[in-house]
Amino acid sequence: MSSTAVVVPPDTASGPPRRRRTRRQVLGRRLSPLLWVGPAVLLIAFSVIWPVVTMVQSAFLRISSYGIVDGSAGWANFQNLFNEPDISAILWRTVVWVLAVVTLTLVISLALAQLYNEQFPLRRLARWALIAPWAASVLMTSIVFKWMLDPNNGAINLVLRDLGLLDQLGSASADHLGKAATAMPWLIAVAVFVSLPFTTYAILAGLSAVPSEVYEAAKVDGAGTFRTYVSITLPLLRPALTVAALINVMNVFNSFPIIWAMTHGQPGYDTATTTVFMYVLKGSDIGESAALSVVNFGIVIVVVGLFLRVARWNTEVD
Amino acid sequence: MNRFVAGATAASALLVLTACGSGSSSKGTTATSGAATSGAATSGAATSAAGGGSPVTLKLVAPDYGSGPADASAAYWKTVTDDFTKANPSIKVETTVINWNDLATKVATMVQNGQQPDVYVGGDYAGFVKDKLLYPVSDVLSAATQANLLKPFADKGIVGGTAYGIPFVSSARALFYNKDLVPTAPTTWDQIQTAAAAVKAKGKIGFGLPLGSEEAQAETMLWELGNGGGYTDASGKWTINSPANVATFTWLQGLVKAGDTEPNPANKNRTDLWKQFASGQIGMINGSPALLPIIKSTNAKLNFGVAPVAGKTGPLTTTLGVADFLMAFNKSGHKDAIKKFLDFTYQDTYQEKFDLEYSLLPVTTSATTALQSDANLKPFLTALPTATFYPFTDPAWTPVSAQIKQIIGTALTGDPAKVLGQIQATATKK
Repeated sequence: MSSTAVVVPPDTASGPPRRRRTRRQVLGRRLSPLLWVGPAVLLIAFSVIWPVVTMVQSAFLRISSYGIVDGSAGWANFQNLFNEPDISAILWRTVVWVLAVVTLTLVISLALAQLYNEQFPLRRLARWALIAPWAASVLMTSIVFKWMLDPNNGAINLVLRDLGLLDQLGSASADHLGKAATAMPWLIAVAVFVSLPFTTYAILAGLSAVPSEVYEAAKVDGAGTFRTYVSITLPLLRPALTVAALINVMNVFNSFPIIWAMTHGQPGYDTATTTVFMYVLKGSDIGESAALSVVNFGIVIVVVGLFLRVARWNTEVD
Repeated sequence: MNRFVAGATAASALLVLTACGSGSSSKGTTATSGAATSGAATSGAATSAAGGGSPVTLKLVAPDYGSGPADASAAYWKTVTDDFTKANPSIKVETTVINWNDLATKVATMVQNGQQPDVYVGGDYAGFVKDKLLYPVSDVLSAATQANLLKPFADKGIVGGTAYGIPFVSSARALFYNKDLVPTAPTTWDQIQTAAAAVKAKGKIGFGLPLGSEEAQAETMLWELGNGGGYTDASGKWTINSPANVATFTWLQGLVKAGDTEPNPANKNRTDLWKQFASGQIGMINGSPALLPIIKSTNAKLNFGVAPVAGKTGPLTTTLGVADFLMAFNKSGHKDAIKKFLDFTYQDTYQEKFDLEYSLLPVTTSATTALQSDANLKPFLTALPTATFYPFTDPAWTPVSAQIKQIIGTALTGDPAKVLGQIQATATKK
């Protein structure tokens, strides 16, 4: 059952001359690829295209908070959305959130990958340990961090107190998640923490693909460590870095459980990103929430398009 | 107890579903004619059935109020129905207990298939009334039992001038205070501030103010009632940004700024603060009877008292009330058997047993009086007959409540008039 035999069109198929095929056989062979591709096409249509169409449709419907469709809303949902007093702050926060988390993740992952690429005792164990935040559910990690930051008896606060960095447990300064100014850095830190394993492994894979001869040549040419890294390692890592960055941008933009579990986007919407805002809106106006989904979807597509253009990933991979 | 709100939300969904369900019910069975059209004819048949001693089986559907096998509601209903059948051998009751999440959908399916239960606890009645699937309360409850129901709760069961929903269980709010930190119960806002400042001086939290996403709409309403405000006026018009409500939040801002509450109340939740109160870290907090078992299980030695919620110039004579309702379907025509069963169920013994099991409150005057001997329950029970409700019959309540949960906390740091104005705009949109 070789799949190549199926994919090759019948008229170009070479081989010993055989009996003339009947028309039925020809039709059967022409349609047979559909048998293999069909389920995948159906799956994509069902799980990707259909929801996208429904999402766009819902954005133009007036839907009661009980979920009953009240007819067309025209652009009213979008108007309401952009008239929300908090929308511009939320959009800006989303930009900052994505940039901060992805940049920090990439920088730290580059360093970690370099370290993990070296030979050292217990490297295998260390590599396994790095998987932990990846293997744990993001929601679980977020709740654990929330507990560690508990103003009264959170583990992080206990350490801070013992180090003399915190005067009193239960005070306003121990309530890191209570104010946006202190909550955002923690949210970003947790997002970086859960993004590190994947990113590090992606870069590690890129590193191990760099042929050792290139480094030997650089050594012969007398290049220093820094020069080698900038001129050889980084350019050769570009495909791995591009993929890692791209997947992180989409993941972080759509990230929901961290903020939801740790601050619920509160106080007010002061720690909410567009994804969190979309979820809050769902409780009050489904149409407006769908409008924001469409906006989010558009943003992701535009950002990914720009990113791929700038990174010229398809020219570099070869 | 968010159930009532949840029930109201599910109502319109049911409304749609039952619209299709009632049509198929008439052709599904031949023995009893279409429920929606000939309730009178079928109820005549039921009289002879129940009265003549030929056996009747009532179908009861109820939600599970318990949190596990130890306090499953099935056990409660078994006691009630066993006792009932012992007293009325010709009537059997078949109980189906369903968890809250699936309750509304499962009953909707039953109704669509023409297999509605005789008695349904915990759902919303309004949708079924529209399809004429329910008995009016006067058909299935004796005059004595009807008169025994607490009036504000019974009144909530009225749809279009006739009562269809029967309150089954209720809950309310009162002020809990830690007697070691606050020796006497504060009755006014000034006393709250003084007491909270004194608690703060001892290094603990003065007043627990949960204005985070879990249940901010309850805490907000209690404070607004304390200043003669509220979400709506007597005519049902939205008054979220009324001067009284703005003044309430301006005052609360002062309390928070003075450090007399927990830090950053805007995202603190009831569950966490209740536990902190139980562990003795908080001086005062508004709570429901559900706080009593938390105290019992985490810190039974806590020296605490329960008092009416404090208002600006004196204690509240009302409280925030919530209730779950039951209803009787008219399809199988077991009117008289249902009446016997409900009158039996609404006896004080069974009301009290249910309330004590689940830390909820009764809905009858006699059970309310009977439970008053419990000092911790007394403040709740005193306020019940004059309880105030969320404006849940207004369709805007769902978005309003969702928005209050998210942003009301910012009224403590920003401009209260602006935040309340934003919510008022949501309420009056469209």
